[in-house]
Amino acid sequence: MASTDINVGTHTHDDHHHDHHDDHHEELNFFTKYVFSQDHKIIARQFLVTGVLWAVIGVAFSVLFRLQLGWPDESFPILETLLGGWAEGGKLDPEFYYALVTMHGTIMVFFVLTAGLSGTFSNLLIPLQIGARDMASPFMNMLSYWFFFIAGVIMLISLFIQTGPASGGWTAYPPLSALPTASSGSGLGMTLWLASMSMFVVSSLLGGLNYVATILNMRTKGMTMMRLPLTIWAFFFTAVLGVLSFPVLLSACILLIFDRHMGTSFYLSDIWIQGELLTNSAGEIIEGGSPILYQHLFWFLGHPEVYIVILPAMGIVSHVMATNAKKPVFGYHAMVYSIMAITVLGFLVWAHHMFLSGMNPFAGSVFTLFTLLIAVPSAVKVFNWITTLWKGNINFTPAMMFSIGFVSLFISGGLTGIVLGNPALDIGYHDTYYVIAHFHIVMAMAAGFGMFAGIYHWFPKLFNGRMMNANMAYLHFWVTFIGSYCIFWPMHYLGEAGVPRRYFSFSEFDFANGFADLNIFISVAAIVVFFAQFLFIINFFYSIFAGKKMEKLNPWGSNSLEWTTPIVPGHGNWVGKIPEVFRWPYDFSKDGHEITPQTTSEKDLEDIPAVKRIPTR
Amino acid sequence: MAEYYYSKIHPKKFALWLGLGSIIMMFAGLTSAYIVRQAAGDWVFYKIPEVFTYSTIVIVLSSLMMILSIRAAKQGNKSLHRLGLLGTILFGFVFTLLQFRGWDQLTEIGVRLTGNPSGSFLYLISGIHLAHLLGGILVLLIVFIKSLIKKDPVKEILETSNPDRFLGLELASTYWHFVGVLWIYLFCFFYYNTI
Amino acid sequence: MYSLIGILAVALLILILFQLAKAGEYLGLLKGEKEANDRNNQVQATLFLGTLVFGMIGIFWSAWYYSDAFLFLRTPASEHGGAVKNMYFWTLGAILPIFVLTHALLFGFAYIYKKDDSKLSFYYPENNKLELIWMAVPAVVMVFLVLEGMRNWLKIMGPVPEDRTVLVIEATAQQFKWDLRFSGLDGKLGGKSVQLMDPENGNPWGQDWDDKANYDDFFAKDSIVLPVNVPVLVKINSLDVLHSFYLPDFQVKMDAVPGIPTQFWFTPIKTTEQRRVELNQPDYNYELACAELCGKAHFNMRRELFIVEQDQYEDWVKRQEPLYKTLKASASLEEEVEESDETIAAEY
Ligand code: HEM
Ligand SMILES: [Cu+2]
Ligand SMILES: [Cu+2]
Repeated sequence: MASTDINVGTHTHDDHHHDHHDDHHEELNFFTKYVFSQDHKIIARQFLVTGVLWAVIGVAFSVLFRLQLGWPDESFPILETLLGGWAEGGKLDPEFYYALVTMHGTIMVFFVLTAGLSGTFSNLLIPLQIGARDMASPFMNMLSYWFFFIAGVIMLISLFIQTGPASGGWTAYPPLSALPTASSGSGLGMTLWLASMSMFVVSSLLGGLNYVATILNMRTKGMTMMRLPLTIWAFFFTAVLGVLSFPVLLSACILLIFDRHMGTSFYLSDIWIQGELLTNSAGEIIEGGSPILYQHLFWFLGHPEVYIVILPAMGIVSHVMATNAKKPVFGYHAMVYSIMAITVLGFLVWAHHMFLSGMNPFAGSVFTLFTLLIAVPSAVKVFNWITTLWKGNINFTPAMMFSIGFVSLFISGGLTGIVLGNPALDIGYHDTYYVIAHFHIVMAMAAGFGMFAGIYHWFPKLFNGRMMNANMAYLHFWVTFIGSYCIFWPMHYLGEAGVPRRYFSFSEFDFANGFADLNIFISVAAIVVFFAQFLFIINFFYSIFAGKKMEKLNPWGSNSLEWTTPIVPGHGNWVGKIPEVFRWPYDFSKDGHEITPQTTSEKDLEDIPAVKRIPTR
Repeated sequence: MAEYYYSKIHPKKFALWLGLGSIIMMFAGLTSAYIVRQAAGDWVFYKIPEVFTYSTIVIVLSSLMMILSIRAAKQGNKSLHRLGLLGTILFGFVFTLLQFRGWDQLTEIGVRLTGNPSGSFLYLISGIHLAHLLGGILVLLIVFIKSLIKKDPVKEILETSNPDRFLGLELASTYWHFVGVLWIYLFCFFYYNTI
Repeated sequence: MYSLIGILAVALLILILFQLAKAGEYLGLLKGEKEANDRNNQVQATLFLGTLVFGMIGIFWSAWYYSDAFLFLRTPASEHGGAVKNMYFWTLGAILPIFVLTHALLFGFAYIYKKDDSKLSFYYPENNKLELIWMAVPAVVMVFLVLEGMRNWLKIMGPVPEDRTVLVIEATAQQFKWDLRFSGLDGKLGGKSVQLMDPENGNPWGQDWDDKANYDDFFAKDSIVLPVNVPVLVKINSLDVLHSFYLPDFQVKMDAVPGIPTQFWFTPIKTTEQRRVELNQPDYNYELACAELCGKAHFNMRRELFIVEQDQYEDWVKRQEPLYKTLKASASLEEEVEESDETIAAEY
């Protein structure tokens, strides 16, 4: 389709310098090439494949606990086969139900949507789209992956220990998470959870530092900040968020570890458990601590974390939409500034998760203000995406489908955020299924869709110029899109009825008990969506090895730099000099040219005949 | 690195500065937890042991040694450079010993890790700081050992045209100064928040 | 066994779909890539339009179908419930039109502007006036919602108005139950501390027996009973982990935090009897639940709550027995009762 020959506009300064890293001559064995690789593209693959495997586990867990919620009276022999003692007689043990919920949340938020999404695409796209040969520190980049890997291994081990994994929720609030006597998951399982999270923080920091340093310092000639693709802007602010908020989570974890193992009382006070007063090993009464302190520290990371999850998806969607509508992103500057505003405000709203923790109501109202203010930049982004489609020329590639799905989900979930951000209403909705519906739609599903969009779009750059099967992708999209709404939309109704989240069974309460049909419906939808993901998984792994080979350098008609690299870019990305950049990446349908790659200078443009089409739109 | 049109500062240096920012966030988290907890009342006040004043002086001396060493390196005075590094490292060790002494003194006056959070915080925050400092000592040791290795004279001449030849040293020194300043901040913080 | 067969069947289905999809890829190549692409665009665009129409119908129909269960649509059972209900409608009024409008535009544009090779897109990179409008309008709406929200929130969380007499009760949470303490005739709750707890010797909540206000404090045995139209101040605390005091019907929720007492006040305005008539459910009960994960039986911390007329409430109070009295009664068998205690008890 692309009528422009990429090479016309590629200024490579034909003089042959030898100053670029010539890693092509290096002897690479299997280990240095695929395992301990320092090539950002391989590291991106490692993050992606690891993330996909974790996603299968995390979503499978949600199916297991949805079985319990949908059919509380039924017994499922398969559960006993899978889980053994945790599901005697085919019925899930409540303790293990909470362990599954906790692992589901932790895995999905941190391993899939932070490492799997941001890790994959920051690594892949930052050097490729800004025109760099690799990250600022490829070695740190490799460490970042391996710390993530270790975090994963530790979490995986915790699934198999006798007392079960952590079961205090993904937020791990003390005292529940601090007292091994309070629940069986708070023993060794929680210790492993903390160890795993600490490793994960290190991984995120190493990654984030690298991303920011690379973006600010290693752009190619002509690539000013305002010529960066929106993906890069999004990764940039994601990394800033991570670098500034993850250390605080680490502090929270360290204090918790001390409370658990050293007998301190940062978070604990006046506790009577199992028939006795809590004392430390020296026999002193534990007092003077505050569980609320943990919540402040946790949510100081926790809220930015939801933006760490969603911003990369926003960047991917903006880029994919413009490319496939062959129309510039509407309001590029507004898009950049709104990401910036979201980043800044994202640090100022953490306590909206704590309205009902007994904190000062005046503090609560300040947090309300900032919380609802975040709706403004978010609204700007939504309107800009919609305007990007207006009078566009939309080609429904699989990535485009997921991008449109993303916008729909982001709207649906974002609007209920306005409800929850209002503390007067949050009294009713806090810790009910309304919250579950809200954050799954706006964060979990939307970010998942952003990730799918990214995978379908950049698959050829990730895996040696192979493409995924589009028909499978469409089927995958429709089942997942309709299915996600079927799972999570009805949860609003449960929330409206006041049904609390993190309930193993609803039958103990009259007010929560009247929704058997609805819960079955949700569970069926969840199972269907779960199996539909295999449409993706099979397509993914099949295409890595046997997918259709990309025929054009630039299959989607994109303007950005990554498509100027060879079909299978080596370590160093460009053969010869890195191309120079002359324009922003969204010159679509301008002056009769459907696409104008960033590498096209004004002079080149004169040589390219315009497409003779009437721009009636 | 000549390829990068926009590099004004070496990316590794930049990454280090960012990393320092993230360490600052960690300590900001800890010290604000301290303040929040203190404001909640039920707080046992005590006087911070004098040893910590001495360790503050030692860490300043150590930073001065570092400055000396890096200056010598740039002037080509290798032996002074090595001496300076050695001094930096030695003062680092002295600081570590003094911190341990400080903790002992705290225990002697009845402020223990497991008592009131006011004490726990002091142990914890100074402990985490010390962990960062020990990391710094490790880096300095590596730099020191590298400085002992004899280089091929030809290579050495070639090196002189490389603007990044002091990069490792500069990174180490930036980190070291940072850890020092961080301690001075923490010391002042504790000083004004105890008593 | 069934699960195994089921999973095999699904696997087979997916494999078949995969084969079909691959075949489709080659078929597309045969037919010519452009035709296949155009047809696909048409199909996807139509599906988006269909999703818009049927999705909206589904969403609004199902909301209507389940609306009986929506707590906000019922007449409020507590005084502040009314204010919150207004807030609810304001918010819905703001977000529902946006929800419909943006979706109509999103899917509508997707349908209208599907690829057409005879046209180019409209190059339209920026319009600051538009940006300003759609920044300002949400900002104004948000400011309104923030102000209204804050006003209500501060009122709900603020102190009980001076001119109203308030009934103070105390909720103590522990794994996995709620215990409700009433102040008895003196209207004052006695002191209490974990360090005094001694279940073996009849002091399971650590009441301070030196504090005479404790002598008439009693714990509700089975149901909790509260008078209608009287402000109730609930002092909330926990003995072990976090819990949350949750009364869904009354828009009441507050965490129970060990070591840090919290509180919430509300005024019930509908008796249980009235609610039953109104909902036409003769066995409807108000319930107290826990809304903060507290361990394996978190889902099972139920208490029933009855809102009754003032005189019925007083009758109920008379039937309750203070712990101190029970304790004394059993203790007096073994030891002699202290005199001072006797005189105090006689006052009531
Ligand atoms: C088919 C997909 C999914 C289904 C059916 C599902 C279902 C659920 C349900 C029912 C709960 C609440 C359980 C309870 O409170 O008892 C839950 C919790 C949660 N989910 Fe999902 N979920 C899915 C995907 C995701 C994704 C993609 C994310 C990524 C962010 C995610 C993140 C979470 C988190 C953070 C929690 C809270 C865990 C906690 O309470 O500690 N979920 N999920
Ligand atoms: Cu938040
Ligand atoms: Cu609970």
